[in-house]
Amino acid sequence: MTARMLPKNRIEEFVGRLLEQAEVVAPRRVEVGDVFYGAVASAEEVAWDYGHAVEPLKRFLLPQRETMLRYSTGDKVRVEAELDEQERVFLGIRCCDVTGIGVLDAMFGGDTPDPYYMSRRERSTVIALTCLQAPDETCFCVCCDAGPFLAKGYDQQWTSLPEGMLVEVGSERGEALVRSNDDLFDEASVDQVAARYRLAREAEQTFGDFKSYIAGAMSKLSMNEVDPKVWEQAALRCMECGGCTYLCPTCSCFTVTDRMEDSSGVRERHWDACLYSCYAREASGHNPRPEREDRLRARFFHKISYQWAQRNGRQACVGCGRCVVGCMAWAHMPAITEGIRRGVMT
Amino acid sequence: MNNPYLPKLATIEKVKTETYDTTTFTLRLDDPEERKAFQHRPGQFVELSVFGAGEAPFCIASSGHGRDTFDLSVRKVGHVTGALHEMGEGGQVGIRGPLGNSFPFEEVAGKHILFVGGGIGLFPLRPQIQEVCREADRFAAITVLYGARTPEDLVYREELDRWQQQEGMTCLLTVDTASDGWTGNVGVVGTLLTKIEIDVSNAVAFVCGPPIMIRFVVQDLSNMGFGENAIVTTLERHMRCGIGKCNHCMIGDKWVCKDGPVFTYGQMREMTEFEE
Repeated sequence: MTARMLPKNRIEEFVGRLLEQAEVVAPRRVEVGDVFYGAVASAEEVAWDYGHAVEPLKRFLLPQRETMLRYSTGDKVRVEAELDEQERVFLGIRCCDVTGIGVLDAMFGGDTPDPYYMSRRERSTVIALTCLQAPDETCFCVCCDAGPFLAKGYDQQWTSLPEGMLVEVGSERGEALVRSNDDLFDEASVDQVAARYRLAREAEQTFGDFKSYIAGAMSKLSMNEVDPKVWEQAALRCMECGGCTYLCPTCSCFTVTDRMEDSSGVRERHWDACLYSCYAREASGHNPRPEREDRLRARFFHKISYQWAQRNGRQACVGCGRCVVGCMAWAHMPAITEGIRRGVMT
Repeated sequence: MNNPYLPKLATIEKVKTETYDTTTFTLRLDDPEERKAFQHRPGQFVELSVFGAGEAPFCIASSGHGRDTFDLSVRKVGHVTGALHEMGEGGQVGIRGPLGNSFPFEEVAGKHILFVGGGIGLFPLRPQIQEVCREADRFAAITVLYGARTPEDLVYREELDRWQQQEGMTCLLTVDTASDGWTGNVGVVGTLLTKIEIDVSNAVAFVCGPPIMIRFVVQDLSNMGFGENAIVTTLERHMRCGIGKCNHCMIGDKWVCKDGPVFTYGQMREMTEFEE
């Protein structure tokens, strides 16, 4: 591990330098006290002591609504694509959300890269901030290999020590950022590195009884051995609000629509949710998944089946617990995996 | 970076009415380079943009052999298809593709090729029929079974006539409900299977039609002794992006747009979501 120290009194300077080159997206406390990721104008605005951001980082790579094409109609059609080329630093991002970016990378990269996503992703630097204690009782990243500390997936990973930030470098991009700001970083001492491992162990111990039986559910889902009762019962609860998919760091289904602005057309994509009844419906009216239980099954199959884990490099739940907070009906990931394990929704 | 969402411009060369609600649009890509690069195989599809209305997926309904245009046969059923039907020759549309996989061809050489189409399910089969006919001597026999709801729903009428007359080829038609003047078979397309002679040990069936038709024809074929990998179909789903990103067409662990749309019955049975 390459580790450095960014002393407390130099953090402001470092963030200042980042701001000169890029938009810095970091946890920010809003008026009512909740924390959201958002663009900051100074280090002062960063909520370093935050627990959990209400929303994942997803919208900064895959906006809820984005323009894909603009075109003129008429005699000769002209089509133009727009890409977001803003440099961004994602600073102080929780490990679950950083892991979520990795899943999105697999989905939007691959052999047919999505240029809109990749344009943002290739211009982004990810600085993770480890959790020294479970931010919330709904957190279960420890069940998902996605926190509270990470071994990979970041450009830099910061751990807050009394004297400053211990900075682990995880990529060439992360290393370059250290190199170009060499005057701000010190070498980390052996004690400081040891402290990072001790804090990681202690942090894991602070996670409570809230668990998600991902591995068992993965096995049953992948082998098509889930008791159909589970989906029927979950379908009675789920209100199809789509909140879990909007809050999920890895849910990325989108739909595409065209609209006219005067005489020119705009093609946009919007977040969609596979739980919506019209999601798979075809123009003919045929709906391959007419029942809510079909859609719930499809969603959780995509999230945590072995088949999709193999395609994406890991299962798509990162244990952030946002679906637990957001779901009004106790049909979130841990409830479903528990139901799959027991063969009945409890 | 190449933008797979950016449509290529194409012009409608010809509009041919097939039935009261279906039309075949012959398109030519505007850019000569793009036209040259547009190499497609039977079974593949494109995403068609009707500018101002939106984009929707359509199978390519013609073989690419010897022509620099291609056909899309379209039923007027929704927003995009409705707007397309308002367009005439010379109109400009957008094309992304060709997308998806294609029907096996070399792999089925020497076999008796059976096509079973229902309604507009003949659209995706047509390029494969054309290519198999073009190299008919490489196949043991060619049989086309085609059914529609009524005689007025039969598409590609002139081509059907040609197929019925072509030597070494059998083409049988049926309708669910006859109307005045219809003297042919009446009954669902599966009933035609009892009227043909076929050595199932050396045959492969290409099936496409509405979901209910596919289900029953696949059952009939299985009962006749067709192995599950000797039954090939092409699936239709709400394919928004066509490149495995939006997830609308997902079935189990497959994207119909990228892993398909052509699947064997065996592959479909392995899909966790497939209902027999």
